[in-house]
Amino acid sequence: MKILVMVKQVAFLDDEFEMRDNDRDVEEDFFEKDLNEFDHFSVEEALLIKEAAGDDAEVVAVTVGDDDADDVLRTALAKGADRGIRVWDDALEDADGISIAKVLAKVVEREQPDMVFTGAQSADFGSAVTGMALAGILGWPHAAVICHLEYGRGAKTATLRRELEGGLEEIMTIRCPAVLSIQLGINEPRYASLRGIKQAKQKHVDELSLDDLDLDAGAVAPASRVRRMYTPEKGQAELITGSPAEQAARLAEIIKELRG
Amino acid sequence: MAKSNYDLLFTPIQIGAKTLKNRFYQVPHCIGAGTNSPGFQMAHRGVKAEGGWGAVNTEQCSIHPECDDTLRITARIWDEGDVRNLRAMVDILHKHGALAGCELFYGGPHAPGLETRTIPRGPSQYNSDFATVPGCPGFTYNHEADKDEILRLQQHYVDAALRARDAGFDIVDLYGAHAYGPMQWLNPYYNRRTDEYGGSFENRARFWIETLEKLRNAVGNDLAVVTRCAVDTLYGPSGVEIGEDGLRFIEAASPYVDLWNVTIGDITEWGEDAGPSRFYQIGHQNDWIRFIKEATNKPVVGVGRYYDPEKMLQVINSGIVDIIGAARPSIADPFIPNKIKEGRAEDIRTCIGCNVCISRWEMGGVPFICTQNATAGEEYRRGWHPEKFEPAKSDKDVLIVGAGPAGSECARVLLERGYTVHIVDAREKVGGYVNDIAALPGLSEWGYHRDYREVQLTKLLKKNKGSQMALGQKPMTADDVLNYGAARVVIATGAKWSPVGVNHRTQEPIPGADASLPHVLTPEQVFEGKKPVGKRVMIINYDPYYWAPSIAEKFVRAGHEVTIASVCTVGAYMDYTLESANMHRMLHELGVTILGDTGCSRVEEGRVELFNIWGEGYKRHYQGSGKKPRGEDNTHTWHECDSVILITSRRSNDSLFRELKARKDEWADNGIDNVFVIGDAEAPRIIADATFDGHRLAREIEDESPQHQKPYKREQKVWGVPYNPGENPDLEWRL
Repeated sequence: MKILVMVKQVAFLDDEFEMRDNDRDVEEDFFEKDLNEFDHFSVEEALLIKEAAGDDAEVVAVTVGDDDADDVLRTALAKGADRGIRVWDDALEDADGISIAKVLAKVVEREQPDMVFTGAQSADFGSAVTGMALAGILGWPHAAVICHLEYGRGAKTATLRRELEGGLEEIMTIRCPAVLSIQLGINEPRYASLRGIKQAKQKHVDELSLDDLDLDAGAVAPASRVRRMYTPEKGQAELITGSPAEQAARLAEIIKELRG
Repeated sequence: MAKSNYDLLFTPIQIGAKTLKNRFYQVPHCIGAGTNSPGFQMAHRGVKAEGGWGAVNTEQCSIHPECDDTLRITARIWDEGDVRNLRAMVDILHKHGALAGCELFYGGPHAPGLETRTIPRGPSQYNSDFATVPGCPGFTYNHEADKDEILRLQQHYVDAALRARDAGFDIVDLYGAHAYGPMQWLNPYYNRRTDEYGGSFENRARFWIETLEKLRNAVGNDLAVVTRCAVDTLYGPSGVEIGEDGLRFIEAASPYVDLWNVTIGDITEWGEDAGPSRFYQIGHQNDWIRFIKEATNKPVVGVGRYYDPEKMLQVINSGIVDIIGAARPSIADPFIPNKIKEGRAEDIRTCIGCNVCISRWEMGGVPFICTQNATAGEEYRRGWHPEKFEPAKSDKDVLIVGAGPAGSECARVLLERGYTVHIVDAREKVGGYVNDIAALPGLSEWGYHRDYREVQLTKLLKKNKGSQMALGQKPMTADDVLNYGAARVVIATGAKWSPVGVNHRTQEPIPGADASLPHVLTPEQVFEGKKPVGKRVMIINYDPYYWAPSIAEKFVRAGHEVTIASVCTVGAYMDYTLESANMHRMLHELGVTILGDTGCSRVEEGRVELFNIWGEGYKRHYQGSGKKPRGEDNTHTWHECDSVILITSRRSNDSLFRELKARKDEWADNGIDNVFVIGDAEAPRIIADATFDGHRLAREIEDESPQHQKPYKREQKVWGVPYNPGENPDLEWRL
């Protein structure tokens, strides 16, 4: 049995940061990068199934990203994933969720897994689109925001609960293989041990290009484009001083200004 | 945080002819170095100068053998030998651009003369209200000085100031706070004279003002002349009050000083000055100190456990003081000024106000320690710098089980050194049982111990990619540890209170005391909050520190009727941390019943059997084997209660360590080099010592046998070498 877990390297901002010259993103130096928080839970869910299934189950962590993104694969491998796949091409620099889903769909075709997990969303962009787009491209059954899962090795179906609005939960049975996006709190993600971290360094990571997946730059061209990223102006405050008459005058002035 | 916000704190100010480069002034405070450990003195004061303090003072520095504070350790400036030993401190302060101050100390009968066997002089004859020998107030007397001896005493001050100049000091501080020296002349509580040195305010102030004048005449502008003054002794009209003699004295003596160093209180309750966080928060003296500047145009330095730069700015901006004085905060973090200047206020190792530093001076004879700063007092003898660390000497990674005081400090220092460290703890938060302590009434500031380590670990873990901290984990088993893959393992699993009342008087359980029963609790179970606690709470106390009073306070404030049955004085150690007097006042006010000299022989549901620990008779008889040499204690009586809390003995949580040691033959196969046990898991101790132990292991982890302390550099008198030039070190009988 094979489970593919799609993981993402996300960026966190320092307290203070600067924008890039093109105003379309934050300057790289101000990012702290780490495995997407949701993916800790999807990796854990896969590992729990693997551990219940015994040795012939395989968990494969997959990411789309440059060399730097190897770190997040190593994190998943250190926790117990068996091998990793990293896809990269400079053409993916501006990829959106749909482009990524197209790439991942090719990986799924290549790997033929029994189940695919993604995080419910990424912590940095939060579009929650990649997992469901992937299912759409594959034409597979799918369910999003899963907070409980019962799935055994080789099972034809999985039973799951997913979170809905207003505190509602929905219980579903789904045909497998399927694409499931995993919600925070579904389990308690483990930390890697030092042994796990050391062993992860020896585990195999396939590095694939678009060519390897029979894709080209045109096929993954993003359908959307970030035009500008900026910090909205904050409200202004002014301390009004002076005699009561002066303060009243200033206040009246401000009201006039604001009313136009 | 922008650096420039705090520019005011870095604005120079004149103290007479001397320029203080910023507003950070380490007021005189004891450390246990004196002049007998010049290396300790030099290195501890030196790191403060390095850390940015504009002026750094000695501790109280005795001017003459008539002032001998032994067994409490103070500096001395009696002779050339002392001058030589103090010069090491002065030189390092100057190297770092700080002014060096010497506090001229004459204790009167508050210094008991246990070494010199001298009798001090004073305005009248009285016996000290201070426990000069710990636990023994009223034990030491002085001699009323006549006019010849007044001149002689003033000359002692002058001679000492000249020796201070020889040593290179920039400042002399005539010590009149804490009921010492000239304060005994000003304070009508002590001064009962009827000549021109007693009676009216002018007469009582005469000795102090004349002495300041003589100091100025002797040293001119070579030294800045400061005087440390308690502006209110806090016992109303029978002493010095700020609104009366306090401000009048400031006004009258101002022409003779370059800086006022002001405090409140006396020596017997000097916790009113060095206020423990249990009772006093930052800036707690300001209700008194705020008036000083009305009476003087000279700069003022004041204290109040200032660790927060915002508060420092506020007290200067509001005109309460000009200069931030600090003793305890400068011990917890000698680098406060630099950290503020560099915009790193979040890195300040905040004083928690536990007064464990003070406890070491107060008990006498030992070097001080700090709960927050494990390097305090270890600078010279172990070579521990508070902010700098020896780089890792190997790539051996470390698993630390337990993130309490010892574990978190060990992790912090190992990470500073560059080791790969994994920390695992069952709690959701760093700090171990400090999390519980900080939840006790009055002890929330003790949580700063946890907070500092939490902030530092978070930062260091970001820098060190292979390292991690896993909180909220299942307790690790020996198998977990063996399989973890760490080259070195540190067990820091803490300790717990005996659930069956094992105690130091029997080393056995108390019959019927069993915390698995619903009516019996350990402190840990109190914190868990799972067991209901009845209306009438009986605390069975065999512990000399804060546990019984704190747990009593917790329950009495929640509406319970609380009795403490205690074999020792409740909170006995708090005499040394200066918390004792107010703690007893508080327990009295809250209506906690204290049964002293009382042990517990049996616990039953609804009642405990107590006995007077002296009830077995004082006469001793040999009665053969199997019989005790004293009689049976016949004082046992039953006391009704609903819940019993056992504060008896602690025991290490060392089963994980023991099992790992027993499986030593499996270490090599699992890549384990060594397994250590630190902190309370090795032996229960106070937080300061557990923190020290974690720090020590991290510093010494590459040394031979790191489990066991490496010898340190000792400062001892060398046989055959004279202390003063020209002395004959040989035995010379006076025949």
